[in-house]
Amino acid sequence: MSMETLALTPKRTLIEEFCFGAKNGFYLGVERIIPAMILAYVLIMCLKITGLMTIVGTVLGPVMAIFGLPGEAVVSLVAAFFAKAAGASTAASLYAEGVINAAQVTILFPATITMGTLVGHFVRVVVASGANAKWHPLLLFIPLFDAVVSMLLVRVILNLMGIPA
Amino acid sequence: MTDVEHKLTWRGWLSFVFIVISFSGVLASAGVWSAFDFQTLIGNFGKIGDLGPFSGKGGTGAREGFLFGLTLVPTVMFALGLIRVVESLGALLAAEKLIRPILKPLMGLPGVTGLALVSSMTSSDVGSAMTKQLHDSGKLTDDERTIFVSYQYAASATLTNTIDCGAPLLGIALLPIGAVLVIELFVKILGANFVRFILARQTAQAPTAQENQTNISMGGAA
Repeated sequence: MSMETLALTPKRTLIEEFCFGAKNGFYLGVERIIPAMILAYVLIMCLKITGLMTIVGTVLGPVMAIFGLPGEAVVSLVAAFFAKAAGASTAASLYAEGVINAAQVTILFPATITMGTLVGHFVRVVVASGANAKWHPLLLFIPLFDAVVSMLLVRVILNLMGIPA
Repeated sequence: MTDVEHKLTWRGWLSFVFIVISFSGVLASAGVWSAFDFQTLIGNFGKIGDLGPFSGKGGTGAREGFLFGLTLVPTVMFALGLIRVVESLGALLAAEKLIRPILKPLMGLPGVTGLALVSSMTSSDVGSAMTKQLHDSGKLTDDERTIFVSYQYAASATLTNTIDCGAPLLGIALLPIGAVLVIELFVKILGANFVRFILARQTAQAPTAQENQTNISMGGAA
């Protein structure tokens, strides 16, 4: 972390840096992306077979319509609450199932990342930085606020680009 | 952290400009120049005869999830390798140089938070540890820390998370990765200003120094 320890590490060549980063990318794929994809695809399949997906879609349709999304898209946001990767994977799975289109995927993309892993990162960012406990509830709310704004923002941008969303 | 340069050189600027242009997607259909476009360089999987992609069509459940996840690995490997290279050339220092003077108007933060801010792009843990250090060494007030943390918390490690967690969406989304990153940064700054506004109102209502004092000690214990 500190400058002293940085100075002690031997200099890597650019090729070594690239390979090191790419290797990390492989492990991230195996440790985070693939497990999240399996979870998301199984979850969506389960919701579809039981018919719960249709119910969720109907109930939340009016709320999600504000963001240009069908009610079913909320599943992606709920999954994102637990883990960013799960949220994004769920959105991809919904796209594969034909529930949402590419424009709607674009709307969900920044939101799943912004509000994702809400609890996990609360510990790693808010608590670890020692932020004043008095403001913890406010801080917990901010990523959700950001996500809502991002969905509206992307919708506007897509409309400006002439893509109906 | 990475084995970064400690001084900002032309290599830092060049690598910063390179990564920004590469992720922005502006070179995607620029002929020879598309050789530097991130999305172009990811390339495509070959097709098996007329049957389509190797992962097939119409798969479902865990098996389809696994195969799709597998197809994303090359993207993430390439992206993280690239980021690692530009990081080692000092791209973060160039970003810091650019962001430092506008931190005050942008979020009401002192310029000294610049390095922590750009570090938080690739590592949430480094960002939060640096923030704690800045506060403990008296370079950041309690309120400034709260504002700064509200920026870092949303999308934490924005660059890395958008690439690895968002990998399944990179090929589907209608906006290039650079645009998605800009949108994320924009709402992060907006959220931080929301906190800044609330804190400013709070201070205006109860300007007692005593209360501020207890808050700091509470924060330290947490």
